[in-house]
Amino acid sequence: MKYYQISALPLGLLAIIALLVTALVSPARAGEIKLEAQLIWGTNDEKSPDPKHKAVDPKVEKKLKKLPFKWQNYFEVNRQKFAVAQGETKKIVLSKDCEIKVRNAGNNAVELQIFGKGESVGKISQALPKEELLVTGGNAANFTSWFVVLQQSE
Amino acid sequence: MNAEFQLKLQAHFDGELSGPEAQEVEAALASDVEARALLAELRNTCGALAGFESEIKLPEAREFYWSKIQREIQRQEQGQPVRPTPLPWWRRFLLPSGAFAAVAIAGLLAAHQIGWLSGGARAPQVEIFLADSGAMTYRDELERTTVVWFSYPGENEFADATADDTIQ
Repeated sequence: MKYYQISALPLGLLAIIALLVTALVSPARAGEIKLEAQLIWGTNDEKSPDPKHKAVDPKVEKKLKKLPFKWQNYFEVNRQKFAVAQGETKKIVLSKDCEIKVRNAGNNAVELQIFGKGESVGKISQALPKEELLVTGGNAANFTSWFVVLQQSE
Repeated sequence: MNAEFQLKLQAHFDGELSGPEAQEVEAALASDVEARALLAELRNTCGALAGFESEIKLPEAREFYWSKIQREIQRQEQGQPVRPTPLPWWRRFLLPSGAFAAVAIAGLLAAHQIGWLSGGARAPQVEIFLADSGAMTYRDELERTTVVWFSYPGENEFADATADDTIQ
């Protein structure tokens, strides 16, 4: 009868590599999260009537255009960058009638609360790793739409 | 012409035969056409190979070199096959399974961190605060985008309508 001694070394090394990869790809468990919130207006009009409006960040625009929305054009009404420490909540004013509250729930998760004219519309709890987009929106007048886009900033 | 003579002829061609043996081969060559043909073939072959293969010279006497080969063959034939010390059954089980478990745990951790297993984290939890409002969610994995669409009616500042319940 032959005996084969199976070496655990290669498998052990594999395990160590996997653990290292895990450590590298795992998000920071503690500390603040840097975020960017954008208030966006969706329309089928070619131009925005407000000269203060800017073109939407191309990356965000590309993603919005790939979503099943009927609007062809998107304009940035406001954009704010901010940081939220773990467990803390930050209030961001995006327009005179639109505010958001963002809580850093830890482990790259956020709680986004949206206010319209001071009234709470809804709260969303969502993991938001880098490169992820959390898009909230609703219909607006004249067949347009509003969007609040939240993502981790660079 | 038997095989033994063929070998002798080859040795004669290589100049390895002693006087009497060489004379014997020469005599055979004089009377044997087949032997002469073989010798010619050997010459041709040797001539063809000479341009491609340099002569290999042994660094030591031929007999000594061969004796080394012979001793090595004998040593291998007499030697016992190496048999690894059998491991206890529990070690034979634990070694691979322990390593496999480590890899599996690391994989699960990685998958959890990347989000493959955290379906709940991927799907947003939405709370609605207005009685006349609703929400639907949509997830585009390819674009890594989560959409929460509120039925809450918004209004932008460019619209003529100035309803009370606007978000913008």
